[in-house]
Amino acid sequence: MNASASPDSRAVSADAAPQSIGAATRRGWRNLLRPHARNLGLALTLAAVLALLGALRPRYLSPENAIVVALQMSFIGITAIGTTFLIISGSIDLSIGSLFALVGVTAAVLARVIPPGAALAVGVILGGCVGWINGALAWRIKLSPLIITRGSMSIIRGIVLLATGGYSIRGVPEEFAHAGQARLWGVPSPILIFLLFALAAHIVLSRTTVGRHVLALGANQAACEAVGIRVRRLRLGVFFANGVIVGVAGALAASRFGSASPSFGVGMELDVITAVILGGVAFTGGEGSIPGVVLAVALLGVINSGLVALGIDADYAEVVKGAALIGAVSLDQFSHEARERFRKLLAMRERG
Amino acid sequence: MTSHIQSPVVQCIAVSKYFGGVKALDGVTLSLSAGEVLALVGDNGAGKSTLVRILTGFYQPDHGELWFGDERVEQLSPRQARELGVETVHQHLLLCDNLDAAANVLLGQEPTRRRLGPLKFIDHRRARTEASRRLSEVGAAIGDLSAPVRQLSGGQRQAIAIARAMAASPRLVMFDEPTAALGTRQTEATLRLIRGVADRGVAALLISHNLDDVFAVADRIVALRQGRLVLDQPAAQANRETVVAAMAGLLAEPSAP
Repeated sequence: MNASASPDSRAVSADAAPQSIGAATRRGWRNLLRPHARNLGLALTLAAVLALLGALRPRYLSPENAIVVALQMSFIGITAIGTTFLIISGSIDLSIGSLFALVGVTAAVLARVIPPGAALAVGVILGGCVGWINGALAWRIKLSPLIITRGSMSIIRGIVLLATGGYSIRGVPEEFAHAGQARLWGVPSPILIFLLFALAAHIVLSRTTVGRHVLALGANQAACEAVGIRVRRLRLGVFFANGVIVGVAGALAASRFGSASPSFGVGMELDVITAVILGGVAFTGGEGSIPGVVLAVALLGVINSGLVALGIDADYAEVVKGAALIGAVSLDQFSHEARERFRKLLAMRERG
Repeated sequence: MTSHIQSPVVQCIAVSKYFGGVKALDGVTLSLSAGEVLALVGDNGAGKSTLVRILTGFYQPDHGELWFGDERVEQLSPRQARELGVETVHQHLLLCDNLDAAANVLLGQEPTRRRLGPLKFIDHRRARTEASRRLSEVGAAIGDLSAPVRQLSGGQRQAIAIARAMAASPRLVMFDEPTAALGTRQTEATLRLIRGVADRGVAALLISHNLDDVFAVADRIVALRQGRLVLDQPAAQANRETVVAAMAGLLAEPSAP
């Protein structure tokens, strides 16, 4: 805005052609709206789906049903927050489903011998440690974390199956279920924790240096190194935080059900990644927001439960979710291409 | 413009670096002064980037001394080089395309308000004024501070990279082939930015293949050939033929002081 007002005679007119104020303002508006366009689209889609369901099955919108639906999506939602940070930072962890089971089983087993609170806490810490190890492996081996964590996904699942013999953990004291069954103002604890984590994550991502550096890291690691950001610590920190978050989800799920099954979280990583990408996080890193992911989690949850409510074969939900994902990323890609064309035009005008 | 050239801020004394049997640098003595644009020229493999990596702490010299002001530094690490005020503007600028100009200028040095464990909250208002102050200090005009820098022109991006380097209050800023990817007008703008850096009392080291750029902006020209310093002359006294001859190894006597 102060382009033309600089009193400095050395001021470089790096701008292409002087733009009219009108054009600059219009571009400003576009910049202001663009990050929100995706979220707006998700919110409108969600509203439309809810309106349709409300019209066809009025009971779907009852508070009781809303809580059931929200509860179903809350574990995916909590986990998606960790994956959001990982993917924005240019990384990924495929072992979250296995880790979810490992933590759930561990917490449930421990609850038979130690107080439930301690069992849950050990589960969460275990999650953080395994997350950190995944990060450290991916860092040291300098290979795509996609491959490293695909490996740990199998290892962890294998350990869970071997340790449990394939059977669910039973005989867990009743108090263990208190945390997962707790309600506040009628809302079950997993939903509250999901919303609380989402709020905290949104603040971290948009207001703190850690969030800023995670965004920067996903865009350009060399730039972060050049300005002295401790890149290794940041990467491992995100993996650790993701492990803690998965740990909370796994421990909470075991508590909620009062037991844990070794098949907890099978395929969960794919649902989580679907939600995160649908929520507007760029798979290549550097872009994304928590509100978008929360909306996407809600949309996928509503699609799942809505089709069931309509009496449609649940397998259709898979088709709809896949189509929604491809549709959303195609829209992103097309708008990105349009922006690039615009930018090239600008650059050519400037050089010519 | 170049009146306030002062005592050396960084000195290399008889610096050598070997890679196996290859002498990448061979007894190079060089001093960089505040307020001076020093152009470093030489063919590929002449030792320019080895010298840059020594000054930024990525390589340790096998022989010789590094002085920062009146402090001799042994075992310079990249972190220490930054702390001593050595900044580099890379050829590829190393900007985060997804972030806006303000965020890029202040990357890693965001002003913060309060702290909560490992979380430091960015003071967005202060960041904005700080970033625009730094940008105008280097003489850059960025219309929209909140647009992702991928939308900005090459010249604007260069200005952001330079403003970021200047944000650390450096004593030496090195420019690695800064105009290699730029058109004529952007090149002029960038050379003016480099001049501006030196005018703020910082030693500017310009590494360039382009002798037009070198003569347009440099106060002093240094040429390397096969790891040896073969020319060190005030730009006003140098001419293109001498510099080319030095780079090609056709000068009989190194005209070093």
